[in-house]
Amino acid sequence: MSATTLTPTSPKAAAVDKPVSWKVPVTLSVVAVAALVVFGSMAPGASATFGISTDRDLLQLPALTVSGVAGGWVCALAMLALAGYSVYLARAAAKLPAWVPIVFGALFVVGFLIWVVAGARTTSISLAGLIAGSVTLAVPLVFGSLSGVLCERAGVVNIAIEGQLLGGAFTAAVLSTVTGSVYVGLLGAAVAGALVSLILAIFSIKYVVNQIIVGVVLNVLISGLTGYLFSTVLTRDPEHFNAPGRLPIIEIPFLSAIPIIGPILFRQSVVGYLMYIAVAAVWFGLFKTKWGLRVRAVGEHPQAADTVGIKVNRIRFWNVILGGAIAGVGGSFFTLVAVDSFTKDISGGRGFIALAALIFGRWNPIGAFLAALLFGFADNLQSLLTIIGTPVPSQFMAMLPYAVTIFAVAGLVGRSRPPAADGIPYVKG
Amino acid sequence: MKNSLRALQRRTVAGAAAISATALMLTACGAAPTSTGSASASASDYTACMVSDSGGFDDKSFNQSTYEGLKKASTELGIQEKHVQSKADTDYGPNLRSMVQANCKLTVTVGFLLGDATKEIATANPKSHFAIVDYIDPKFPDNVKPIVYDTAQAAFLAGYLAAAESKTGKVATFGGLNIPTVTIFMDGFADGVKYYNQKKSKSVQVLGWDKDKKDGTFVGDFKQVDKGKVLTQGFLDQGADVILPVAGPVGGGAAAAIKEANAKGATDKLIWVDSDGYLTAPEYKDVIMTSVQKTMTDAVETVIKQDKDGKFSKTPYVGTLANGGVALAPFHDFDSKIDAGTKSELDQLKKDIISGAVKVQSPSSPQQQ
Repeated sequence: MSATTLTPTSPKAAAVDKPVSWKVPVTLSVVAVAALVVFGSMAPGASATFGISTDRDLLQLPALTVSGVAGGWVCALAMLALAGYSVYLARAAAKLPAWVPIVFGALFVVGFLIWVVAGARTTSISLAGLIAGSVTLAVPLVFGSLSGVLCERAGVVNIAIEGQLLGGAFTAAVLSTVTGSVYVGLLGAAVAGALVSLILAIFSIKYVVNQIIVGVVLNVLISGLTGYLFSTVLTRDPEHFNAPGRLPIIEIPFLSAIPIIGPILFRQSVVGYLMYIAVAAVWFGLFKTKWGLRVRAVGEHPQAADTVGIKVNRIRFWNVILGGAIAGVGGSFFTLVAVDSFTKDISGGRGFIALAALIFGRWNPIGAFLAALLFGFADNLQSLLTIIGTPVPSQFMAMLPYAVTIFAVAGLVGRSRPPAADGIPYVKG
Repeated sequence: MKNSLRALQRRTVAGAAAISATALMLTACGAAPTSTGSASASASDYTACMVSDSGGFDDKSFNQSTYEGLKKASTELGIQEKHVQSKADTDYGPNLRSMVQANCKLTVTVGFLLGDATKEIATANPKSHFAIVDYIDPKFPDNVKPIVYDTAQAAFLAGYLAAAESKTGKVATFGGLNIPTVTIFMDGFADGVKYYNQKKSKSVQVLGWDKDKKDGTFVGDFKQVDKGKVLTQGFLDQGADVILPVAGPVGGGAAAAIKEANAKGATDKLIWVDSDGYLTAPEYKDVIMTSVQKTMTDAVETVIKQDKDGKFSKTPYVGTLANGGVALAPFHDFDSKIDAGTKSELDQLKKDIISGAVKVQSPSSPQQQ
């Protein structure tokens, strides 16, 4: 192993030498044909109606009504055309532009929505509600996956995201109630997440214990600890320990009245705005600053980083702490924004979904953000579809988020490569 | 090099040992049977025990109500009690075994999810007595007494009330998991709305549950409170204005969504389940119109008393409107808002269900199994 360069090999550079891959064209073609059969020839006779404006929007747009048959055929044929284009490019050995799979995916979602809504008992759905709910469900996932990005980019596997979220949720509820200020609770959530991380950092970096085991143990520990305190203290006197109140929703004038994007971008609580800021900040920090270069070097090739004078374990330590603080803030979303009290295991396994979003997003903050949004969208769509009464059984609908992931990872994203030194403790010598 | 490696290994082992010891200690905190000796000097050596499902004894719902029954029995009958919470589905067997080993005369297991574990352990320990809440199985051995509820009867009344009180002509229900003890509420609710429609020639719609297809809207567990809130917002977006969440603590999410909508001028309402939500979840009392109650506390106490007096039998206890095992809770703050006509119709309907003039049917009902 020569350590001549600190920058990790970019996946783009590797792709140039590879022979033309037929994977994407084949995936697209198969899906397009399936869409033609399902969305086109099996299209329901009714029309699908999509509500766009909510009562509070400035601009009241009329609901959009699309005929099931026409909409289905248009989407399916457009998908087929894109698949054909990708086959043509592959034959010519040209590189597929990135917009092709993205537009294809969007067409698939639109076609699916038209098909499923037009075939339902109630053939109308609120698009604004669908999008807003998706973002709500995605917020903790985004914070959790950012925590993962910070830790794993520096070479420490963070399985403890679930524990960090839960610790944050619990501390936010208790501290807000005791001090009477939700902002103190928010701060406390960050500290709680960082404390969970501190244990992870001490054991995995100082005592080089297997990082996955420490993470799993931490999840059990935090679940047990918060559950125990909930049963013994919080339920006995909820007024003084478990009535945190809510973080206020801050509306940005005019912008918040834009249909669909207004509520998700400009009608959020502090935690919601922090999410967008955190994604941008972590991305900028990791890829545009000296600090980020060092972090990535430590995660890819710690020996090389060490030889040029970077303190490997110190960088890892602080990254793990920072990651925990971010996940802790995400946890406060459960108890300060979504509802205003803590209940046992309120994080409900979302830390593990965040982990999946991190891998799906290829250890990149923006990728992880988009993956988390996709999971949130699939989750919310799934429940909304059971509300309007689709002909598809709910068990199949519950599979949707996972089916989407497998399709996206296997067919479009390609190999997801972790940082080279992820999970390997660094010991000098 | 070799030395440092060995030192490293030692450190690793010590670290791992320390961390797992801490974890063990804490899990032990959560799971060890807690026993409360009775205060009276004549405390008998009779011990009644209880194992919760993963919801825990503080779920403001059926685990909690059952546990209240045990506590009540312990103070009033002067017996010993032990209880243990299960954290995961894999805890049921071990927790039950530990109760048998702790010399429990009667062990009450709470919930459908403990059905298989109870059957297995009861078969293996024919001398111990068991009672299981919310589950019935013809293959239970003779030492298991099922405590079940025909909840559909009370939910039928709730459905009628919801339909009468809905201004939008749409009401909704959702569950935690698609299991019989949850869907029995949804069946009764949907049929109550249907009955209202027939009586009044209206067409109030039920969202979230299709009785014929046995399928509807489910959270997927009893923990994700925020998802319950997003789901409820979805129902409200679709125009529903009375919501019945059958999902334990997740009902709090539904209440939060309704509170938010009402703050913006809506008049949406919530129907709580299992216990009287006005009393057990007072933070949501301004949106709780009523509750579909299972009065488990008394049933559990009675079963314990019978066993202590040597009158244990495997005949199931079935809670109905007739014996007060299930009921529609008082309206509390909503009392003045509900039309007097509706109230008298509900009273009549209750009488008709008890007399059998109106039949409430659910495939999940214990009387039809």
